[in-house]
Amino acid sequence: MNKYKILVVDDEESIHLLYKEELEEEGYEVHSAMSGEDALKAFDAQEPDLVILDINMPGMDGIEVLRQMKQKKPRVPVILSSAYPEYKQDLASWASDDYIVKSFNLDDLKSSVRRNLAK
Amino acid sequence: MPELRRDTIIGRWVIIAKERGNRPYDFVIEKDKTRGGFCPLCPGNEHTTPPEVLAYGRPDYSPNGPGWTLRVVPNKFPALVIEGDLDKRGEGIYDKMNGIGAHEVIIDTPKHDETIPMMSHGQLIQTFWAYRDRMVDLAQDSRFRYIIIFKNFGRAAGASLEHSHSQLIALPIVPHRIQEEIQSSLHYYEFKERCIFCDIIRQEKSQDIRIVCENNDFITICPFAPRSPFEMWLMPKRHQSSYISMDDNQFHSLTDLFLETMQRLDKALPGVPYNYMLHTSPLRIPFLEHYHWHIEILPKVTTMAGFEWGTGFYINPTPPEESAQFLREINLD
Repeated sequence: MNKYKILVVDDEESIHLLYKEELEEEGYEVHSAMSGEDALKAFDAQEPDLVILDINMPGMDGIEVLRQMKQKKPRVPVILSSAYPEYKQDLASWASDDYIVKSFNLDDLKSSVRRNLAK
Repeated sequence: MPELRRDTIIGRWVIIAKERGNRPYDFVIEKDKTRGGFCPLCPGNEHTTPPEVLAYGRPDYSPNGPGWTLRVVPNKFPALVIEGDLDKRGEGIYDKMNGIGAHEVIIDTPKHDETIPMMSHGQLIQTFWAYRDRMVDLAQDSRFRYIIIFKNFGRAAGASLEHSHSQLIALPIVPHRIQEEIQSSLHYYEFKERCIFCDIIRQEKSQDIRIVCENNDFITICPFAPRSPFEMWLMPKRHQSSYISMDDNQFHSLTDLFLETMQRLDKALPGVPYNYMLHTSPLRIPFLEHYHWHIEILPKVTTMAGFEWGTGFYINPTPPEESAQFLREINLD
């Protein structure tokens, strides 16, 4: 059976290491992008089934990446993952399929991934 | 010399830095870059919002699809939640309760780039009807005591989406800012047996130096002690404490004057970010002799910093008399 492909977009190396380990344990194939620009290239090249996207990144921010991804492929679920809950008040985040506040406990994130892939 | 002015309602002080006398063309308004791409508020993307609680312009049997002219939806990621009890409690001397409330977004128009000054009367009046209809509906929930309605326009004013929308938050408490306004108005009423807002309107009519525009039912003024250049208050001329008490004619009059007010602002400061807030009486209190509903419009041309946060003072480089004159003299033809 083909594994679901997840693209993790974050400018923090430690987040990539944590997410990769935990999500691969769940049986997903995990790809990484360190910036908004790289994320859009990987989105086209890797054709992920789901994207986990940081908001605060240097250069192109996550909200801009989200808008462009949804413009290209509205059906691919994008989960916003940010350390800052206040970005929830940014209505541009509504284009996403879920919003998870970053934590070392990834239970919420993993259940959101399962829920959105099952849609 | 600068001038200290006191807001006659809540006693807030502002510094009018008269010698700077900034005219509209002195303000540098950075226009927001249109971001383009996917917009969750546009027709065709209704699936990205929670199910609507109100829509105008299309039949009731086809909700959550295109064809609407105005749409109201709950906030997708609400700061307060609608389900549950308040469970008011104390922690020592501190008070707390569960974060119960309703947070809704009014999508003013189906057109992504349509701003208020560009709207037709028929489009804009729907926004005012929606405010009323949602207030009436949410007032049935006894947990809620107050509904604040506001609009953020432009990134500097807190709006990241250019698609025109306003917001409504139903709260289990009357906010301090509103309490302060109501209590101060009551104090004035107990002393003079007159509504302070009605007295402001009377004085502004007689002085005629801070009026921006008016019609039979409403007036827009630059207040005597404004927090920012070109701050405006729009008020009903007839005493009325609750927004939902307006009759049909008043809704049309309000739409006309609000449209004119916003068109004047847009001509004075094209594309300026702004916030407006609707202040009305608390829920289920239909009539107060001492209070007067109104809309406060605050263009975002100055920045709040340590002095403002630390004192509650505001520094305003443009006297309201100059703002009003400039706005009044704008030719809208």
